[in-house]
Amino acid sequence: MTDPTAPRRRPTGTGAGRLLVAVYGVLALAATARGLYQVGTKLDEAPVAYVLSLVAGVVYLVATLALALDRRRLAWAAVGFELAGVLVVGLLSIVDVGDFPDETVWSRFGAGYGYVPLLLPFVGLWWLRRTGRPDVPAPADQSTVG
Amino acid sequence: MVIPLAVVVAALCVALAGWATWFVVADRAVVLRQLWGGAVVEGVLLVQAVVLAVVQATGSQDVDGVLLWGYVVTQLVILPVAAAWAFAERTRWSSVVLLVAALTVAFLEYRLLQIWGTV
Repeated sequence: MTDPTAPRRRPTGTGAGRLLVAVYGVLALAATARGLYQVGTKLDEAPVAYVLSLVAGVVYLVATLALALDRRRLAWAAVGFELAGVLVVGLLSIVDVGDFPDETVWSRFGAGYGYVPLLLPFVGLWWLRRTGRPDVPAPADQSTVG
Repeated sequence: MVIPLAVVVAALCVALAGWATWFVVADRAVVLRQLWGGAVVEGVLLVQAVVLAVVQATGSQDVDGVLLWGYVVTQLVILPVAAAWAFAERTRWSSVVLLVAALTVAFLEYRLLQIWGTV
């Protein structure tokens, strides 16, 4: 791992990755808070949708931390899960309204959140791929300040 | 009292966002003075939290308390975390992070007013 001759990979949480982590963080906060509220106050109204809401929020939290801490494999898994989630739930919420009587962050492909939940996994996967290439020059060491 | 405070918070956030935008354009990282600006927003948010608690406890306002306080707490958390995250990066991207954080708080203020007013 620390072989100095190995090509350096850029940490996922630096440079433009700062913005990615920040947006993931906001979405994680929004989805988790909403999920907690829904599960905590009215779970019996729509258990599937509300538990899903909370799960989505927790996965966003995992993705945020993984990207921030440069845990690539975890980030791949979490971001991939989100992509699957937003596509599957987005489709189900349009086709079969009965199963999703109330909103989750993924409903209607994330329309309630400006389609950010749909866009973000693609950006996340692209960023993981891009920073995973060893030929990307590592940022100058000043970025480690603080 | 609630609405004027909300206007103050939103105005301060927009000002902070404008400041951050200027830094993005100028290709500069967040500076300490901007964090003080964020601290001022936090101060007003704290005042707002106290006012909301008092009005909610004494007034006839019928609001969903859990929802309201979820937003109040979320709003308080965003700027400090974003500021710490932004300040660790010494490129223009730190200013982009501050910009996003300030706009998020402003948007939450708008949602807060909706929650306060609709019920």
